[in-house]
Amino acid sequence: MYKTPGFISFALRRITGIALVLYLFMHIWVIGSAVGGAETFNERLNLFQQPAFKVAEVFLLAAVVWHAFDGIRLLIVSQFKVTDTRASQFYAVLVLAALVTIAGGVPILLFMLNGG
Amino acid sequence: MSNNGSQPTVTVRVQRFNPDIDKKPFLQEYRLTPQRDTTILDALHEIKTHQDGGLTYRRSCRHAICGSCAMNVNGRNMLVCNVPLRKHLDRRNRVTIRPLPYLPIIKDLVVDRSSFWEQYLRIKPWLIPPDDIPEKEFRMSPQEVAALQNAEKCIMCGACYSACTVVATNKKYIGPHALLKAFMRVLDPRDATPGERLKEVGTDEGAFRCHTIFNCIDACPKGLDPTKAIETLRQLAAKRQAFEAARRERQKSLAGPVPVSE
Repeated sequence: MYKTPGFISFALRRITGIALVLYLFMHIWVIGSAVGGAETFNERLNLFQQPAFKVAEVFLLAAVVWHAFDGIRLLIVSQFKVTDTRASQFYAVLVLAALVTIAGGVPILLFMLNGG
Repeated sequence: MSNNGSQPTVTVRVQRFNPDIDKKPFLQEYRLTPQRDTTILDALHEIKTHQDGGLTYRRSCRHAICGSCAMNVNGRNMLVCNVPLRKHLDRRNRVTIRPLPYLPIIKDLVVDRSSFWEQYLRIKPWLIPPDDIPEKEFRMSPQEVAALQNAEKCIMCGACYSACTVVATNKKYIGPHALLKAFMRVLDPRDATPGERLKEVGTDEGAFRCHTIFNCIDACPKGLDPTKAIETLRQLAAKRQAFEAARRERQKSLAGPVPVSE
């Protein structure tokens, strides 16, 4: 593949998009169990309290944040036709997504480590 | 290319493929001693003349206007006729030359550009003038001429088309080259069919298939901006009828008699 920052951005958009769809199915599976009563709901929710899933939540946050910020970048490019600064835009999204992921991910991991 | 004792020898790796003989493409290495201003095309000529007469590639004008010599050098598409070889050496003093990606290989560095030309013809790249042809000239404003200038510089080399990730995955996609030409015709006030053109390119095989990856801009040897043209086409396609009406109005003054100043 012809590899450029634009290609990496596109690939990440696709990967995070698919990941979010898969997450959505899991989310509906868990939340939808509420119609079966508190016991069923708690049983399914407890499945995802394992440490591995807490770490996965951080990756989920990264996926959401990347997908959102890159999507906003595309809207800006589309509306204002700013193609000259495409490389800077890509790195700006990367840095912003990393900062938000760290800001949100650290509390998740600390909560997990403290036995929450 | 004689070794004057001051220029180091370099390795030129060229992708070879003869469909009559080879099962799959492979890289063949050649050693050269280029001068400081030797271009990559010069190096290919040297190889073909003195080392391997079977090496096959396209070239013509050798001053970056015909577009024949577009190739992939170290993973980037470019015209090889005006690019110094020494500028593209890696840390091991090598340069790797491959044919344009995502297109079928005919032989060595020559690719089949049929899909490229089919998509180009699909958008009807010629001017379709109005019925009312002026006696002398169409009176376009300097701003209208300026809006077309960049798109007119396109030399149809194929660098953008073969760098496009969407082209790689979807052969129905019109492609940045044809969309840039469509943009040029749509914005040309002399053209009488902007609505039909926008209907053709404002689809999910045209402007709306672009994923804004920007490879086309990175690959273009003329510094053109197909992505910007595609974004413009998207916006115009969304208000096609209004644009058509504005064009009809514009053409009334484009070819009519010169207004008499009082």
